[in-house]
This record gives sequence, structure tokens and C-alpha cells, in this order.
Amino acid sequence: MIDFDPAGPHEELRELRRAVTRQDWPAIAGFFGRISDPSDHEFAARLVADVAGSEGFLGEVAEREPGTLARTLLGTRLISAGWDVRTAARAKNVSRSQFEAFHEHLRRAERVLIEVTAEEPANATAWVARIKLNRGLQLGQNEARRRYDRLSRHVPHLYIAQANVVQQFCPKWSGSAEKVHAFGLECMRSGPDGSLASLALLEAHFELAFDLGRAEREQYWRRPDVRAEIEEAANRSVRHPAFRAGYRALTAHNHFALAFSQLGDHAAARPHFMAIGNHGSGFFWGYLGDEVAAFNAARAKAIKA
Amino acid sequence: MSFIQTEVDGVSTLFAEQSGPMIAGLTFRVGQADETLAGRGITHLLEHLVLHGHGLTDYHYNGATGVVITMFHLQGGEDDIVAFLNGVCDSLRDLPMHRLETERQVLRAEEGGRRGGPADLLALWRYGARGYGLTAYEELGVPRLTGEDLQRWAQFWFNRQNAVLWLAGERIPPALKLALPEGARRPVPEPTSALRGTPAFFRGNGSHVAYEGIVRRSVAGSALSGLLERELYRSLRQEDGNSYTAAATYEPRGDGYASITALADAVPDKEDAVLGGFVDVLAKLRAGRIDPADLQAVKAKADDAMRGPMVDVGRLPSLAMDLLTGFPLWPTEDIRAEMQALTVADVHAAALDMLATGLLQVPSGHDALWAGFEAAPVASERQVEGQRYPNRREGKLKLVVGPHGVGLEQDGCPPVAIGFHECAISLAYPDGGRQLIGHDSLTIRIEPTLYAVPPHELARIDAALAAVTVPQPPRDPRQIPRPDAPAPAGAPAPASAAGSGGRTGRLVGAVIALVLSVVVLCCGGLWTLVLNDQSDPDSSVPIDAYSIGINVFIYALAVGLGVFGAVLLRRRNRK
Repeated sequence: MIDFDPAGPHEELRELRRAVTRQDWPAIAGFFGRISDPSDHEFAARLVADVAGSEGFLGEVAEREPGTLARTLLGTRLISAGWDVRTAARAKNVSRSQFEAFHEHLRRAERVLIEVTAEEPANATAWVARIKLNRGLQLGQNEARRRYDRLSRHVPHLYIAQANVVQQFCPKWSGSAEKVHAFGLECMRSGPDGSLASLALLEAHFELAFDLGRAEREQYWRRPDVRAEIEEAANRSVRHPAFRAGYRALTAHNHFALAFSQLGDHAAARPHFMAIGNHGSGFFWGYLGDEVAAFNAARAKAIKA
Repeated sequence: MSFIQTEVDGVSTLFAEQSGPMIAGLTFRVGQADETLAGRGITHLLEHLVLHGHGLTDYHYNGATGVVITMFHLQGGEDDIVAFLNGVCDSLRDLPMHRLETERQVLRAEEGGRRGGPADLLALWRYGARGYGLTAYEELGVPRLTGEDLQRWAQFWFNRQNAVLWLAGERIPPALKLALPEGARRPVPEPTSALRGTPAFFRGNGSHVAYEGIVRRSVAGSALSGLLERELYRSLRQEDGNSYTAAATYEPRGDGYASITALADAVPDKEDAVLGGFVDVLAKLRAGRIDPADLQAVKAKADDAMRGPMVDVGRLPSLAMDLLTGFPLWPTEDIRAEMQALTVADVHAAALDMLATGLLQVPSGHDALWAGFEAAPVASERQVEGQRYPNRREGKLKLVVGPHGVGLEQDGCPPVAIGFHECAISLAYPDGGRQLIGHDSLTIRIEPTLYAVPPHELARIDAALAAVTVPQPPRDPRQIPRPDAPAPAGAPAPASAAGSGGRTGRLVGAVIALVLSVVVLCCGGLWTLVLNDQSDPDSSVPIDAYSIGINVFIYALAVGLGVFGAVLLRRRNRK
């Protein structure tokens, strides 16, 4: 049974979620104290942020605890809480007071995280959240890039930061097809081997392809340059002997499973489905409709290949 | 101490002994911040008049009107300086009023050539249309200042007790005769406020970012300004490449506080990143992450500027201002020592003061709510009581005219109101239009062409604002709003071009139609002749319904063309 819970097979992440629900700050702080990888830190922070209603608890902790962890978690939670209010409805269906509350949550998150990044310029989780906030608060294309560049001085080639820049550079967020593709290539080709840096390129292709109508999309995936870039991306990341990706390994496999399925290369998709097992991830499956149904259909084809 | 305090003719004096060319100045405790908007420019006008007194016609550039002080200064031989300073004092007692109109014109011309600075608006938004905010305004009072106004101004402000003489040279010239009237020292004005809280932001109409914060006057404040400039320059220009200019200055206000002003321009289209980068620099200061190496560099630069034999001479004008504003006179060595001892913690404390009073100008199309700045007020707290007059062009906008003031009202928008007692100026145009500016710098235009305000009400408003009314030259008629035209001050040229094109077109059309109608009439006549000639049965056209119909048709066409042509001819002059 495919399951899109981001905690995946990691029991410690489930335990982290339970610690948030029971408002156990020492356990939460202890967990984050043991994480050294910035990508894993951000991943776990997002998990905390998705616990509904946790902003009250995190707000109290942020008032009394020294350091930046509580404020970082509070900031990321406020973003999710804001989106909860906005309820992910299409813009025209959201009421005026919902939009106001949405923006107020985002502004509060931004104010908290401005302070955090000022105190701790290498705090990747806080910067990633600020790149995300840049979209919701409509602060501009160049400002998104500036935030990414500031983070990159301390933590270069961070996939999840790059993924948020890809979003900002999409036409739907006032970017352009050229810009988003160029950025994806830049990330892939300047990233270290065996890293997640190639995923940004995949996401660029997903965004461009899924923006098209069905017929044009199929043509897009048939382009030899697109296929070549995705092959290159796989060779530099998941297929590379030095590939290590912590909590986001599943994200990588899900991305390539989807990409190769779209390319029609189900044989290439198969090893990724094997690696995924039942742990789906990433919202891109949802671009095909119901994410469970889309995943299962693609997996079925890959198994047969 | 390398300067001494003494007295000349009862005027407090600062003297620095030095063997170079003599340089001297007479500074008075009066400036733009002491004026009112309706009298804005009086100090500058007086300064100009004074410099055209007896025997002073060569010294047009030797005066300076500042925010809280005004200074007459000269460098030269002892005799020249004595003649100059004595002449200034004589001139103040006996103003050359015959020059008044000329100097009024000179000031208007100077104003026309004056380019505003990119940080001008900060004072206006912080202080409003009075006190320190007046530096942001043009010299609107100049047209109506009278000789009596100037005499009174001279008498009140340019007196012996409100003056300081500063002088660097071999000796204090014995021939100095500073014959100033008796009076008193005038304290600097209390700062006014047009803000409800800080930190606050407002939208400018350019692409640059400007910022101002207020700190206690101190060496730490001055160092903070240097640090802020280094951070902005490094971050916005060197690292991001999004700004060309990134700078900060430190200016004592005269009341024990100082203004730190910072500015960053934006390379085309990059203003979003300049704003973001600016916000992050401020946040870094708030967090206290000040690199000791940066502080050291700022200290070294400040120390360099305080070394050398001419430093004390250079400091004399600002020492004179300190003396006039009641600030202790610090020897240069003491300032250098204090600067040396400055710590990161000292500068951080000054930064927190600056940030708490911060005012940020953001590029158009942006805001700073997300960065923790509240919006500076663009409206009044409440509307005035009164009669409402709808705007003839946009009915939803109403002018409110009441016993105590006027206002602008629009559904769903916050009120704009100016009470008569809070009106800083009324610019009065001969066509009846009025522009009112309130103390909080909000503006209301009363346009008789747009609002059906009865004449006796307009007269009542004028009477209530008589003390602050400044007559203006007649407006270009295209500037006067019309109730029917969509844009009052829009480009007049396209409208008349269209009109003349239409006129020509109709004239040509009329001529063609009339010519054609004559031609067709002739055809009709010819056809009638043909029909009438039934002499030869073989070659004649039979008279039947068909042939007669043709004849009728041709005559009708002729008539129709004629009428059409006549109509075009008549209509060619209509719009």
C-alpha cells in the first residue's frame, strides 16, 4: 500500500512528530542536536511544521529558549499554518479575510526568520523557508536569487533551496521557461557528484512539462535533449557510486521513477520503484491527478517492463 | 585645548590660533527648522539681503542657511574679514530693502535649479510640514514675505546673544565691531512627528532605498554610521552587484540627537534585491554581529580625519553650532580617545536606538510590512464635520467643508482632513483653486471647477487661512481641472491634432460631395434632354417608368450629395 507520509521508513521521524504533539521540547531539541546534515535538518523541520496547531507551543518555546532552533521551527510552522488558512484553494475562491490571515502568518514567519538568519547566516533551514516565503509574500525574482546566494555562501548546492528557486523561476510565479531551465542546468552541472543537486533539473522539466496540454506534454518528453538531460541527472546522482542523500534518498528515487515513467522508459524506472518500496514522496505525482493512483499506474508498468 | 573661548563685543567667540590665512565666521542659532511652511525661505532671503548690504556686493557666496544655524563666513586678509563681519552686522540692523524684489527673484531662480536629494522625503514623513520637516519643502513663503517680516526675523534671531563668532588666525582683529541688537539665545525647536510609531516605512516613487534612524549624539553614533555604510557597500554593491551607490551619513540635529541617514540605489530592475539586502544589513546590526575588524577600520578612518594641524580650524564652524545649541565643547584629543575606546557593544547599543526609530523609504510597488515596519500614516485620524460636495468627475470622492476645516472623503478609504488650525499653508491660485498642506504634510486641493462649493464658503475658508495663504502666479489653463475631461493636466497636443485633422477631412469631404452633386445634376439634366427629344423614333429613348425612374434617381442622388456636402461644411468646425 503506497504511503506518502514524509516520515517514510524512519521511525525516529515518527517519534519526532509524536514529541511535537505531546509538546516535549527536550526530545525535539535532542533530535535536532544529533542532525548534522543541513538537508536532513530541513526535512525534519518540515515534518515538525506539518503538525497542525503546533504554532502555539513553538511560540512559547521560542519566547523562553535561547538559540535559534525554536524560532526556526516556529517560522517554518507559521508558513504551513498560513497555507492551512488559505486552504490550498484556487486564488479566486479564497475569501478576503483568509488572504489577510494567510499574509499575516507569512509576514510573522518572515520577521522571525529575518532575525534567525541575521544571527546565524549558515542556518539552511531558515534560509530555505525564507526562499519559500519570498514567493508567498511576492518579494521578487532577484530577491529569491539573493536569498539563495546568501545561503550558498555557507551551504552550497542545497537541493531543497534549489527546488524553491525553481518554483520562483517558473512562469506561474513570474519567471520564465528559459530561466527555470537554465537554473536547473546550473544546479546540476555545478553540483558535486553523488549529490541531490541534479533534482532541481528534474523539477524544472516537471514544471515545464506539466504546464503543457496533454499532447504537447507527450511531445516534450519525447525530445532527445530532455531525455539526455535526465540521463545525465541520473548518472550524476542516484546512479553514482558516491550517492548519499539521507532522508531525501526517497525523494530522489520518486523523482526518477516519475521522470522515466513520463519518458516511457519503464525499464529505467524499475530500479527506482524497487528502491521506493511503498514510500512515495514529492508532490509531483499529484500533477498527474490522484497521487496514489498515478504512482500505482506507473509502478505497474515498471514492474512489467 | 587648541581653541579658546572668549568674547568680542559681547558675542561669544571661539578662537584658534594659527599662522595660515585668516578664516572667520559669524553663526546665528536660526535655520529652516525655525520657519513655518507659509514663511519658508525667510532665513535664506534674509541671508541674501544681508550679503547685499553696504560694500558687501562681492560676497554672494559667503552665507549659508542650514537647518538650525545660519552662517556668514570669509577667508582672507584681516582687513577684508573685519570689513565683512562689521558689514554683516550693519546690514542686519539696516536691511537693504531696495534689494528685496531682486533677491526674491534670485531665490526663485535658485530654487528652480535646485535638485532635490534622494533622501529628502525622509524628513517630510518623519516630522511633517513643520520644524525639521521643512527642509524637504521648497521656499514656498518667499512670494509673500514683506519688509516687516524680514525686520522682525532679523530682530528676533540675529541678536548678540544668539550669535557666535569663530575665527582662526594670528589674532582677534581689534577693529571688529559686531554691532548686533540685544536679544536672547534661542533654543532649537522641539522635534515634531507625523508618524504614529516606528520602525515605519513609506513608498517612494523611485527605485532606491533610503533609511533614517535617530541616535543620541555620540562617538558611537558616528562610528555606527561608518559601519552601516561599510556593510551596505559590501553587501549591496560588492557582493550582490545590485547597487552602485551605498552610503550613510551622520548629522547632529542640534538637540543632543543625531540623524543617521543611509541610501542605496538600484541597478535597473534589481530594486527587490536591494530592498531585501538592505533589510538583512539592518537585521545583522540588530543581532549585534559587528566584525571587530570593520569597527577598527571605521575607527582608523575617523582618527585620520582628526589628525593634523588644520583639524581644529576645520572644527570651528561645528563647535560654534555646539556652543549655540548648548552642547559641550569637546577638545579634539578627547574625541579621538573616546573613539579609540569604542567597543562593539557600544556600537550595538547605538544601533538598537537607530533601529527603534527607523524610517524606511521603499521603492514604488513594494512594502516593508514583512520586515517588521508599520506603514507610515497616509490619512488622518478622523474626518472634519461639514457639508459634503461630490467631485464632478468622480462622484464617489467628496470634499467636506466645515466650520473648522476641510477634508476629502471616499467610501472605503481612510479620511484626509485638515483643520484650519493645523493648516501649514494655503497656496492660492488666481482662478480660485487652493492647495492646502496640513502640519502632518497631507494635502487637499480645493478646485471650484470640480466641487460646487458656494462662493461665500470659499471666502470663509480663505479668511480662516489668511495667515498662511501664499498667492501663486496664474495657472496654465490646462492645469485647471475640468469636470468633463478625463485628465486635467494631460498632454494638450494630441487633442488639438485630432481636431484639426477632423476639420480638414470634413472640408475635403464637403468639397468632393458638392462637386459630385453638381456633376450628377448635369447628368440628370442631360438625361432629361435626351428623354425630351422624341424627334427620332429610332434613336430616342422610350419614356416609360424605367427611364423616368432613372431620371428621378439621378436628381435624387444629386440632391443627396449636395445636402451631404452642405452638412459636412457646417460640421467641419465642430469637435
